[in-house]
Parts: sequence; C-alpha cells; structure tokens
Amino acid sequence: MAISDTGIRIEPGSFRDPTNRVFHRDGEVLRGLDDLAARDWRSLAATDFFRSLLAEGKVCGTEELVPTPVDVPWTAVLRHERIPFVSHPYEWSFGMLRDAALLHLNILRAALAAGFTTKDGSAYNLQWRGASPVFIDVGSFAPARDGEPWAGYRQFCQTLLYPLLLQAHLGVDFQPWLRARVDGIEPDQMRRLFGGTRRLLPGVPTHVHLHGAMQARHARSTTRDVRAQLRAAGYSRELASATVRGIEKLVRRLDRRPGASHWSDYQRTCGYSVPDRQAKERFVEAATATLGGSGLVLDLGANDGRYARIAARHADYVVAVEQDPAVADELYRALRADGERRVLPLVMDLADPSPGGGWRGVERAGFADRTQADVVLALALVHHLAIGRNVPLGEVVDQIVGLGVPGGRLVVEFVHPEDPMARRLLANKPEGLFPDYRRDTFERLLATRCRIERRSELPSGTRTLYQAVVGG
Amino acid sequence: MHLAYLDAGSGSLIVQAVVGGVAGAAVAAKLYWRRLVARFRRQPSDQG
Repeated sequence: MAISDTGIRIEPGSFRDPTNRVFHRDGEVLRGLDDLAARDWRSLAATDFFRSLLAEGKVCGTEELVPTPVDVPWTAVLRHERIPFVSHPYEWSFGMLRDAALLHLNILRAALAAGFTTKDGSAYNLQWRGASPVFIDVGSFAPARDGEPWAGYRQFCQTLLYPLLLQAHLGVDFQPWLRARVDGIEPDQMRRLFGGTRRLLPGVPTHVHLHGAMQARHARSTTRDVRAQLRAAGYSRELASATVRGIEKLVRRLDRRPGASHWSDYQRTCGYSVPDRQAKERFVEAATATLGGSGLVLDLGANDGRYARIAARHADYVVAVEQDPAVADELYRALRADGERRVLPLVMDLADPSPGGGWRGVERAGFADRTQADVVLALALVHHLAIGRNVPLGEVVDQIVGLGVPGGRLVVEFVHPEDPMARRLLANKPEGLFPDYRRDTFERLLATRCRIERRSELPSGTRTLYQAVVGG
Repeated sequence: MHLAYLDAGSGSLIVQAVVGGVAGAAVAAKLYWRRLVARFRRQPSDQG
C-alpha cells in the first residue's frame, strides 16, 4: 500500500534514523517503529526512569497505539503529545540552548544509569512548551552496550556545546552558525576560532582541540573497530556516566549572557508615554480577548514580552519573536523564572526570517511554513521594516497578513512619519526616499487585504492602532 | 548494530575516554598501547 493512500503526511525532518519515522495523521503526531525500534520501545516503556521522565514532563507525552493500526507499514505506532509550535535551535536564545543542552544531558544520565542510552545528541531532539524544554526524540532511546562511549557526543558538540562555547567565550551570537549548517559547527572550524590563549578556555582544550585532533588522526579507523578496542581496553558504563557528568559541569559553567544592545532598554528609551502604553495594552487585551482561551498568537517584535503576556491570558499559546538575541534571552529568563509554559520566545529578524533548511530545504521548515496564527501582533514594527530595512510598505503588510489564518485577526501599529521614532529612522535615509510612508497609504494597503474592524489613535497623536480581520 | 545509525566518529569516541578523568585516560593509554603492540606484532608477517 502506498503511504499516500493512507492519509499520512511524513514529517520531513525525521528520516535520519531509518528504524523509526514521525508522521502526521488526522491532526495527530505519530511515530512508526520497525521491529527493532518496537522492541527497544517496549523495553524502554517498562523502565522506571522513562516513566519518571514522562511524569516530570522532561520527555514529550508518548503512548503506544493498541492495537497497532493495520494500514501503516510499521510494527508499532506511538502517539506523541503535540508540541504547540515547532522551533529550531537557531531561533533560540543562549539561555534556551543552554537549558536544552542541560536537559539532554540530564536525560542521558538517567538513561545510562538504567542501562539505556540515546543514539544521538542533537539539539533537534529538543523542543519547547513555552519556556520549558522538552525532549521529543523518543526513538532515540536504545539499550546501552557495555563498554561503549556515547554515539551522540559529536552531534552534541556540533549542535549544542560548540554554539554555547562561541557565545560564552567569544561573545559571538551562535544563531547564524546553526542556521547555516544543519549538522552544526565542525570541530575543525572551532579550532581555528580558538587559537592562542583562547585554547585554554574551559572546555576548549579537550572538546575542541583534542576532539578535532583525534578526528583527524583517526579518520581512517572505523567506529566498529574503535568501539571494540575501547571495550577491550576497559571502557565502562561508569566511565560513560563520568564523561557525561563532566560535560554537564562544563555547560553549567557557560553562563555568560549575551551583551546588552540598543534594544535591551527599548521599553524605557523608545519614547512611549505612560498613557500611550496603557492605551496599547487595553487595545491588545480587547483584540486577544476574542480568542476566549484558545488559539495561537504571534507577537512580532516582542521586546520585553509585555504584550505577549497580555495575549497569553486569552490564548492557548503565544510565540514571541524578537530579533535581538540579548533581548530575547532576557525575555526567556524572565519567562523561565515565572514557570511560563504558554509563551515561547524566539530569536529572529523579521526582515530575514528562518528559511527552510537541511535536506532539500524541507528537513527544517521555514518560519512562514510553520506559522498560521489566530492573532498576529505587529506593534511598533512596521516602521522598522519599511524605513529601517527599506521593505516596500505593501510587502510589509503582505508579510504580516500572510502569517495569520484566514479569518484571524491582526493588531498592527502604524507609527506616523511625524513620530519622533519614525523621524529618527528617516533621518538616517536620504530625504524623500519613502514618499509612500504615510498613514493613508498604509490604511489603504491594509484595507485591500483585510477588513479593518477598529482603529485607535494613541494619546501622543503620532501612532495609530488597527485591528483587522485577515481576508475579511 | 542498531546504535550505529549515526556515524559517531572514531576520534569522537576515543576523546570521550580521554575527557573521562584519570580512569578514562588510563583506558585511552591502554588502547594506544595495544594498537602499538599490535603494529609491531604484525610487521614481521607483513614483510614475510
């Protein structure tokens, strides 16, 4: 039977381990297992450590479908909890990547103690419930074999540890590096970045330089031979656990926050008066209250998350997109401290949103392909794209409208050209470059794509808020 | 074996012994010693 006959949509990002495959059917997230994976799953499901991980919410909710559906070509099928919004590691802040790495190591340690391991060590094994990481790759668990080091170590270094080292030691934002390479940063590249006295920074001598040198030296040995040699030389499970503990200790030490930026203090310096802010809050509150506790809200240009938090009172889930990694990291830490599980902060430049990545450009879906929001908030955003980044005003409106579901709502703020912020942006461009940047033009463009339900001028008189229905 | 869907990298496996503290370094030293001995043992038959 062809898979296309069964209403199944295969998840394009789940082909790497041929023993199991994630697919979607009738709105459910399912995982098909072959004979071997089904055997591993059943022994995993019987362990206490796995039950504890599920109960603590560290691993995404998973249960086996009994009986196994007969119309799929797998031995067993698992049903997974739905992750509210799938994000990629290059959209996470430093603190997020660090917490994701710590959760992965924590899970691996629990697995090793119970005679299991994870077959890989990728950052893509993790997702988020708001500001709480969750391990999603249940197919990664397998019984450990005595005397074998962790097969996922290299992947862990490339997609988690090295990006953290870049940011913590060099102050370099890691996101573009991960976005450019689906398999992460190679040890060889890292060695070039950590020359001179940087060689001595924590974690660098071993995980970067020695690792890179060993890779070059053993390029011609097969992993099968090396595994046998390590086993014969006495590599033990205790040693594997000690190594993981060592990496965990290192990751805990890497806690340098991204440096402050122009945006870090934006709420204080952006020139909003208190009445303006209160009016905006009331407007957002009223627009999102229509959701009645369900639906996805997308907050574009979230900054300190003030409006995302208001939206979260009325929605199922809020994705708060912020272009500045330092600001997004502050937001993440605040949300994490509050135990917030319904607001997901992400790092992304809206003038350069995440494209599709990996194999055929679909292994990691682009931002637009993942996003269909019931409410899109675009507050104090349009002028940054239209003036700051020269994006034609009509295209800015298209982009915002395109992220909402038909019938969904937009809350958009238009900053008039006379506003101090807009004037500051315009002063950096040749005079007369944006003759169309006017309130009436914006309103006309919005009205051709949406039905404007409500408009409200802020007390300052230089900003207007619109509430509109997509395609209305 | 089923764990090996991913190429773990030979060097990446050995380096884990080295970073595993004193006990790990001892395992790595033993591995290298055995490799060295094996090379000398092999040589006469290779030439023969």
